[in-house]
Amino acid sequence: MGKIVSIHSFRGGTGKSNTTANLSAQIAMKGKRVGVVDTDIQSPGIHVLFGLDETTMGRTLNDFLHGLCEIQDVAFAVGEHASQNGAVGRRLLAGYNLWLIPSSIRGREISRVIREGYDVNRLNEGLQNLITEMKLDYLFIDTHPGLNEETLLSIAISDILLIILRPDEQDFQGTAVTVDIARSLDVTNLLLMVNKAVPKTYHYEELKNMVEKAYQAPLTGILPLNFELADNASKDLFSLRFPDHPWSKELRKVAAAILEVQ
Amino acid sequence: MNSEITRLKKAFLFQGLPDEVLEALAQKMTHQKLDKNRPLFHRGDQGDALYIIEEGKFKIVREDEQGNEVVLNHCGPGEAIGEMSLFDQEPRSASVIAVIDSEVLELKRDAFFELLDQRPDVSLVLLQSLSSRLRFASTYIQKAIVWSKKSAEGDYSFMDQIQPEQAESDEDKAGQMLSAFFHMVKGVKEREENLKEQVHKLTLVIDEARRKQEFEELTSTEFYANLKLQAQKIREQRKDKS
Repeated sequence: MGKIVSIHSFRGGTGKSNTTANLSAQIAMKGKRVGVVDTDIQSPGIHVLFGLDETTMGRTLNDFLHGLCEIQDVAFAVGEHASQNGAVGRRLLAGYNLWLIPSSIRGREISRVIREGYDVNRLNEGLQNLITEMKLDYLFIDTHPGLNEETLLSIAISDILLIILRPDEQDFQGTAVTVDIARSLDVTNLLLMVNKAVPKTYHYEELKNMVEKAYQAPLTGILPLNFELADNASKDLFSLRFPDHPWSKELRKVAAAILEVQ
Repeated sequence: MNSEITRLKKAFLFQGLPDEVLEALAQKMTHQKLDKNRPLFHRGDQGDALYIIEEGKFKIVREDEQGNEVVLNHCGPGEAIGEMSLFDQEPRSASVIAVIDSEVLELKRDAFFELLDQRPDVSLVLLQSLSSRLRFASTYIQKAIVWSKKSAEGDYSFMDQIQPEQAESDEDKAGQMLSAFFHMVKGVKEREENLKEQVHKLTLVIDEARRKQEFEELTSTEFYANLKLQAQKIREQRKDKS
């Protein structure tokens, strides 16, 4: 049975979509069958990293939620399209088993789902079916930041919850609440990742000890604040494009930690 | 004689003098040998000569209030001691003692003045040399004042603009002072950064009351109670499947 990996952060701007896209790509390149679902229905974004735009995006998660199709009809095979879209890093995914289930980026559809809401149970069933039908080893869920009904659901059904935090007071506080929620929902594998750490400002080993002590969960990577990543402006998968960059090296540690979970 | 001229050129006072003058100076100098632990002169002695170390090593010492010897500096071959005493005749401000068997060239004040009587042009060169050094030192002092002000304001940007050669130059006292200043500021900056690091280390503080309150708000809804039940069911189903 494949594992559901939810990527969560208490506030926006932690680099969640970038992390999710890069982690899923790294794990797919280890030969695993990987799906990525963008459940950030209100503000979708991860599709850009996989080279999708309004013209290339077919069916979306919204269509599935509104009962217009099956969830596997939405899956966009990133590996099959990788050689056609120009980005240097993304091209390396050619031939690997990686699928993206994007959220609609059409304003009308976004407003409809916000206005009408959707059946959280249908989302859950869809995700479970996706794992079975596509024989996935891992299903990554990129959530909206914060703790709303969808994110609570994604936490509730996850086998692995990766919480991304920045080393600042607000994220430390918010992460504490998320950790409590995860424990209350019996998430067995709780992993932490620090992103946007200003290089040389923290003693990494001490930061790791401090975070692990505070949350009683492993800190799997401390990813540096990365201006090159910002420059990259979601045009490509950074860890594939720049594999030797410190950010990419730390990201691979997080990927390894996910793969280690039994 | 050539080696003596080369040695003389190292004394800042004589830089810029033509070789023939240096040769005349060298002729007026006498060799002096000092056994290990012998003093070249004592603090308080009247300064009446300049020395250039040929071989060996000297320590420049003073006594502290308890009478213990405090080493201020060490000098080795090529270095000059007591240059200014040729002019000002002030008492020696420190004692100089040979650390090992050593040899110096001595230029007595009287012999020096004899030369100046014979060669008035040399006085002019010496004046030029002193005045350019004064200007040089003033520039450095001016810089040190500006940098001190900046450092006091926590602005260390000037450190990035300085060529390391310039900052580490020790060809003269002003350069040494600048170098010491530079290292001091570097030290202060590093200490400050370490302090900042400590501040960062201390920032993982969680407001436990707020944490508890937010948790209770989130978990007290009907949605949450259902979700918790559903999550248990899903986990059991998935366990059965695998």
